[in-house]
Amino acid sequence: MLANLRQSIADWIFRARFPEAPPVTLVQRRIFILPSKEGYVFALVLLVLLVASINYALSLGFILTFLLAAMGSVAMLHTWRNLAHLRIRPGRGESVFAGDTAHFAVVIESPVRERFAVGLRRRDEDPVFADIAEREATTVAIPVKAGRRGRLRCGRVEIYTRYPVGLFHAWSYFDFGQAVIVYPRPDPSAGPPPSRSVSESGEGVPIPGEDDFHHLREYRQGDPLRHVAWKALARGDQLLTKEFHATASGELWLDWNDARAADPEARLSFLAHWVIECERIGLRYGLRIPGASVPPDRGESHRACCLEALALHGEGTTR
Amino acid sequence: MSAAIPNAALDARGVMWLLGAMLFVVAPHLARMPEWVGAFFVLMVAWRGWVAWRALHFPLRWVVFLLTVAAAAGTFLQYGRLFGRDAGTTLLILMAAMKLVEMRTSREVLLAIHLGFVLVMTNFLYSQTIPMGIYMLACVWIFVATLVGYQRGMGRPATVAERLVPAGKLLAQALPLMVVLFVLFPRVTGPLWALPQDARAGISGLSDTMTPGNISKLIQSEATAFRVEFEGDIPAYQWLYFRGPVLWAFDGRSWRMSEFSPAAALEYPKSERPVKYTVTLEPHGKHWLFALDVPGTLPPGVSARHDLQLRSVRPVDARLRYEMTSYLDYRFGEKLPAGFREFALRFNTWQNPRTIALGRQWAAENPDPRRVIGRALQYFNSQFTYTLEPPLLESDDPYDEFLFDKKRGFCEHYAGSFALLMRAAGIPSRIVTGYQGGEINPLNRELIVRQADAHAWVEVWLEGEGWVRIDPTSAVSPNRIDSGINAALGPIGVIPSLIAADRLGILSNLRFAWDALNSQWNQWVLGYNIDRQRQFLTRLGIDALDWMTLALWLGGVSFAVAGLVSLWLVARDLPRRDPPAVRAWKRYGDKLAQAGLARAPHEGPLDYLARVRAARPDLAQEAGEITERYVQARYGKGLTAPEAKELARRVRDFRPA
Repeated sequence: MLANLRQSIADWIFRARFPEAPPVTLVQRRIFILPSKEGYVFALVLLVLLVASINYALSLGFILTFLLAAMGSVAMLHTWRNLAHLRIRPGRGESVFAGDTAHFAVVIESPVRERFAVGLRRRDEDPVFADIAEREATTVAIPVKAGRRGRLRCGRVEIYTRYPVGLFHAWSYFDFGQAVIVYPRPDPSAGPPPSRSVSESGEGVPIPGEDDFHHLREYRQGDPLRHVAWKALARGDQLLTKEFHATASGELWLDWNDARAADPEARLSFLAHWVIECERIGLRYGLRIPGASVPPDRGESHRACCLEALALHGEGTTR
Repeated sequence: MSAAIPNAALDARGVMWLLGAMLFVVAPHLARMPEWVGAFFVLMVAWRGWVAWRALHFPLRWVVFLLTVAAAAGTFLQYGRLFGRDAGTTLLILMAAMKLVEMRTSREVLLAIHLGFVLVMTNFLYSQTIPMGIYMLACVWIFVATLVGYQRGMGRPATVAERLVPAGKLLAQALPLMVVLFVLFPRVTGPLWALPQDARAGISGLSDTMTPGNISKLIQSEATAFRVEFEGDIPAYQWLYFRGPVLWAFDGRSWRMSEFSPAAALEYPKSERPVKYTVTLEPHGKHWLFALDVPGTLPPGVSARHDLQLRSVRPVDARLRYEMTSYLDYRFGEKLPAGFREFALRFNTWQNPRTIALGRQWAAENPDPRRVIGRALQYFNSQFTYTLEPPLLESDDPYDEFLFDKKRGFCEHYAGSFALLMRAAGIPSRIVTGYQGGEINPLNRELIVRQADAHAWVEVWLEGEGWVRIDPTSAVSPNRIDSGINAALGPIGVIPSLIAADRLGILSNLRFAWDALNSQWNQWVLGYNIDRQRQFLTRLGIDALDWMTLALWLGGVSFAVAGLVSLWLVARDLPRRDPPAVRAWKRYGDKLAQAGLARAPHEGPLDYLARVRAARPDLAQEAGEITERYVQARYGKGLTAPEAKELARRVRDFRPA
């Protein structure tokens, strides 16, 4: 009930403000603090102790009660201080395959003092705890189960602490609009990539490959070094790349229509599997799906590009 | 990074801390409780420790349940109930043990720690001495450290320092607020509801009957009965008779307080020398108060009975401090109503026949009662021995046995037999019990009266003189009255014997210092009740204290103190002020920025200077001076105070715009 109340207060206060630009500093008015459930039990125990002290006229009982009460109020301050002035910015998020765990990295820095047991959690999920070193960036990764392909948004994160004694819960929220791409889960039952692919417009269209030299073009970042026209460079020309055209055997179009599966999601899983396989074997491959087409190439970034296209299929435009 | 939820896991080290703290807090109880309680507790703690250490399975629910039921049943069989001080504490200890065995989550650990705080409180029901206070403070520290350990070690066990240091800091920072609350929290006069009957069990003190043997038991107790601070000189030793219960009714063996005791006004021809003093009475659970013979004024809430016994409305269940005035030289009760006279002469003729015969014989031989008294004192003086270990008087005629056979006794033997002799001789008499003498603490000039100073004496009524105090013990052992119990009998108990062997007086000085400290503790900590509070606050200038005013003060002062502590803590978090050179440099940068020459974030001072020189040759000289000083301050040997001032001046006078 309490958690719900907290949530709704925060929802109300933060309604219009998210997502916000990093970095975020947890200033005084951003931090909420309320007794935790244990804090309320503690208050009840204090009441019992007080009544016992009064009834039995126990001076040391009064001292015990007041010492604990004062300790509780000092603890409130410490709990608040454990969160105050922290600087938070988003870290890099790595893409994952559906079914794996995505990690949203958050970089936290404390301007003063080391902070202990600072927890981060998304709504209703299990928290991750970290100690935040003084004047040093501490990266905390919030794990999120990536259920389905697409863009996985981190959403609002609660940063909280109960240190030192757990009687108070101090918390704040931030939302940087962080997201990671969740690739479709590759489906090995797709088998090996189809050996030949036909372009929609029929034969005769040159496909960039590496079998036959076609022409020289300007060097683009990411071109394989062995395709650089070193002789041309030696002649004093600019940096050029030799463009080859491949026959269909060395170059592959991974086509939506070749992935014969029951539903679109399964098709995407097939295609994801092929992308990975092609990259592993070292083929040049292109991807053609409804709404997106990636010209044949290879390399880590090309693979990511293809998988991203698969992940965001049907979600409208890419970033 | 780990996605585990350390929150729910119970780490073994945390459990060990909790178990240790529990053992500490229950340890003082183990000696007070039946053996099986202690055995059960230790066994359960050991079991839980074993389970935690070896990461074994938790005990089955039904086993725990059966053990819990057994523990409650055991408590009930032991005490015949489940509430009250002893039974309640026992039950709490056993339930704490079961809670330890049963707990599985960190939330339950926190509950167990709360239970620990309550167990700390139960210790105070039995003892509130300074050592107990310190010991329990240590227990609280360990409990808080355990609490910190559970928050600190998310994912890994916290170290000893990571537990103890923050816990110690928390408690230390809590102290100011604790003191404010203690001083200002409104106190009430009495218990909120009736105390269980055993709440004050085990308090020694005088009783309302006197049987041969019961005071001599008391006398072996070193416990303090009360402390007295005198205004002015302490009266001579032989005047220090503190009057307590007055016993009229005699059944042949025991003397009892009479049921019929109308109140009386304290009116008698007094002497001119009032003695003023303040008594701090230890709780004894009875109604009577002690005052020097004879009381002249009454403290509030106290009445005097016709035999000058002071009675408080409430039983003395808490340490009580009251101011008294007494007259050492007095005459009282010159007129004795017939009813009282008859009562003061009553005895069974069929018991103690030889004693009665002796009294009657003396009365026949001496018509003057004073001669009879003298005869009796002489009789005691000639043949009797004063001893702490009197032989048991077993016959139905105990005073016959004492006077004619055993002839060894303690004050109650002498007082009892003397009063009976007087009654047989037709002289009205009664027994007064109380304390005589005491020990003066040279450090604070306070008289400490211990249970060992308990005494009984006799008052006889003489025509024309009223009630006159006769102390038959003084006839046997004059030392007892002149210099105290230790002088009369030699050192009693362990501590006095040690002190007697201590030629240099180190031990006795230590003991006096400890007594003085205890007295302060009793007065200002334990005895801080509604009266003390009012007195103390009045001294501070806070007057006219009703409940509301006090609450306002309490709120205001605690707010202020908590605010100061918070400010102190929060101020340490604020960013430090830059050193003067840096401040000057920033100002210099700001001025140039206004002139359109802002420093780029990555730009070093010398690069900046070069750019400024190129853009504004007119400023080159001054900018160079400033930059040179700044570079020296930051990257060179630093600036002296005058040099730093020079830099600040130059920046102030720098006008690029």
